Parts: sequence; C-alpha cells; structure tokens
Amino acid sequence: MSVADLARYELAVPRALPEACQLLAARVASGEPTLLCAGGTDLLVELGMAPPLGAGARPPLCVDLSRLPELGGVERVDRDGPRIRIGAGVSYLALGRHALVEGALPLLARMSHDIGGPTIQARGTLGGNLATGSPAADGVAALAAHDATVVLTSVRGERRVPFAGFQTGYKRSVRQADEIITAFELEPLAPGSPWCWRKVGARQAQAISKVAFAAVAELEGGRARRFGAAMASMAPVTATLPATRALVLGTPLAGLDGEALDRAVAADTSPIDDIRSTRAYRAHAARALARGFLRELGAAV
Amino acid sequence: MKIELTVNGVARTLELPPLLRLLDVLRGPLGLTGTKEGCGEGECGTCAVLLDGEPVNACLVPIGQCDGRAVVTVEGLAVDGAPGALGRAMAEHGGAQCGICTPGMMISAEALLVARPAPSAGEVRHALGGTLCRCTGYERIVDSVLRAAAERRGAGEVGP
Repeated sequence: MSVADLARYELAVPRALPEACQLLAARVASGEPTLLCAGGTDLLVELGMAPPLGAGARPPLCVDLSRLPELGGVERVDRDGPRIRIGAGVSYLALGRHALVEGALPLLARMSHDIGGPTIQARGTLGGNLATGSPAADGVAALAAHDATVVLTSVRGERRVPFAGFQTGYKRSVRQADEIITAFELEPLAPGSPWCWRKVGARQAQAISKVAFAAVAELEGGRARRFGAAMASMAPVTATLPATRALVLGTPLAGLDGEALDRAVAADTSPIDDIRSTRAYRAHAARALARGFLRELGAAV
Repeated sequence: MKIELTVNGVARTLELPPLLRLLDVLRGPLGLTGTKEGCGEGECGTCAVLLDGEPVNACLVPIGQCDGRAVVTVEGLAVDGAPGALGRAMAEHGGAQCGICTPGMMISAEALLVARPAPSAGEVRHALGGTLCRCTGYERIVDSVLRAAAERRGAGEVGP
C-alpha cells in the first residue's frame, strides 16, 4: 500500500472544459504524466495499491474533472434521429433517478441502481467506468448494449467514436492522451420494448460480477429489428457479441436454434479462470443468460 | 492546496495535500474518529460520510474535491450532543455489536431517511447494501433503522 504517497500528488482543478483540454494538451506536449479523476472510485484504489513512488520520483499531476459543467447533464438531442446525451461525469445515483433515463433507457437506469452500493453510485461515473477500461465494468456493458457513441473532446475539437470501435485491447482504447471522454449519445429504446440487465456474482451489492449481461431489443413481425447485447468479464474487453447479434437479427425468432445461439455466444467470448470464477462456469452462465433473454423475446431456445 | 468546507455544520479552512483521503483528514487533523476505516478500497462502506447530502466512501474521496462542499460524519448526527433516534435505535435494538460498521450504517441510513421518511424494509436493505457487517446478520440493523424511522415520524410503531 502506498496511501502515504497520496500526500505527494498535486491536483489541478479546471472549472471549464476548454481550460481542462488546454492543460491536458500542454502536459502531453511536455511529456509529463497526468491522471484524470472524476469520482475517484477506481483511481484512489489504484493509487493506494500502487508500488511506493521512491524518494526522488515526481508523481503524475492529477486533474480533477468533477468541476466541469460540460460533463454534466442528461438531455434529448437530435443526431441522425433522437438520442439521449449523457454527460460523462453524471453519477450513477443521478442517472438512476433521472426521469429521462428511466423512461427511455430503462436498462441503464437499472444498472445504475445495481453497480456497487449507494456510496459507490454517488461518486462513480460512466465516463470513469469507460476510461478505466476494466472488462468487468457494469456501466460499460450497458453502454455497449446500446451501441453508444462516445464523445471525446480535446483542443483539437470534438470527435465521436462508435462504441464498437472504442476499445482496442485490455484497458486500451482509441482515446488519445490529450482527450477527455465528455459524453455518450444513446438511442432511446422504444417504449415497452424488452431489455435485460443481469449480474451473476457472489452477492447482489458490492461484488464485481462473474458475468454481467446487458441487452435491449425492439421486435416487429416476429423478428428483432433492433438487438443490442454485451457481456462483462467474458473477454479482455467488453464483449459486444457480434456473431450473436448477427444471428438474432438475421433469423425469425421462431426459427432460432438454441445450439446455434450457444455457438455464437462461444465464438463471441473468451472467458478465463480467475479469482472470481472459472472459465467453464462463465461459459455456462453466458449461454444461459443469452438463451434466457431470447426466450423472453419468444424464441424456443 | 487551500480547502474550505463545512464539517458537521462548522466552516473549516484547511491547507493540505489535495489527494489526501477525506477519511484521513477527518480522523487526523479534524479529530473526528467516529468514521472508521475498514477495507480502504470502497468495498465495505464503513467509512461512509455525507458529502453534500449523499453517502460516499471517505476512503475514496480526495480532500481536494471537497472544496466548497459540506461533509457530515456520524458525530454530526448527534442531537444536542446525544444520540438521535437512529443512534438510540441502533443501541437499543441490537443494531450495533462490535461497532466498526455502525457509523457507516448510520450515515447510509440517514441519507435514506432524509429522502424517504417511511421506507420499506427492502428500501432499507438497498440503502445499506454497500455497508458490510460481520456481526449482526443485518436483521437487527434493518429493524433498528425501521424503528428509528417510525420514531422520527412520531408514529411510534414500525411500518409500513
């Protein structure tokens, strides 16, 4: 533990996004290391577990993102159709309580009530969850199921990255060092449409999932006209299940074959044995979760 | 870094390294040792305090993010220097045993009771879901919170 080292870090507190972007650009240009802090629920744990800094070492500068008004807010926007824009710094507590999220993104609202406990929900943010990059991240699985667009901002401007192109490997992404994740844009789910949020873990609160499953669907004429699904803790990145999605979208629900679904889920995932679970159990749970949701949609699997 | 905040209603001005944990500032320079450290990594909820009215783990809050904000610790739940309805209920109904988790339980319960003066048992369980107790089995803690809620409402009975 190196909690004692925390006394050696400095904190910059920008009050607006342009100021934060300029600071970050200057740090990158001079090659000086920088940490970003939103709710701190991952960062403080990581710093506490980091090896001691060493007597002469200078710690990275920590930049506080919690005072940036541009990272707040939940609102309807129009971007090739209706979207809900969620500020990357909105806490899970605020997300779970927000009428717009409850109404148009019920999976996200439910996930926000289930992640950690209330003391984590009051501080944790979707932006932080994605930036940390854990493949076990609940919030990121929910974003992936919605094919969220990730909005990144730097002094070079704003750019939008589809979720499927954001993560590039274990804790790696297309985010450049001078970019801040500022918002997400999600397509609302048609009212009354089916969705699923399941965490399979040792207990309900405060336990990282062995497997988490997020899915949304819109049905029409015996088929899924929209089907988005993702799993956490099933691959080095959040699993976006492309083969499973293609199978479900390409097959009338009544004609869906359970074993074909199992094969698609297996092709989409690469579970491992670790401290929380085993490869075999995770593979079993993933098959059961996918089949369970497809049964809800009317498939005989 | 200069940090101005209120702690249990008292304005404080601190000059401290900004990434110190709120937990260590409370227990050290401010002498408020009611807040306990359990795991130190946000798993146990024992160090919960209210930050602008919301329950947070003080072990995961850098003090630099507390500038301009209001912190309430378990000491701040006292009424005229004595335990309020929540503290009395915890003591009288077996909600506190070894006592380590009790401050975190009380803070999480306080946040709930402010928002929901008449919570269901399920709502109490959800609100306390981030705080781990290794003694009680939780039943008596949930019971204590429901009794405190009833007393605070002046109803005199457990409900609804």
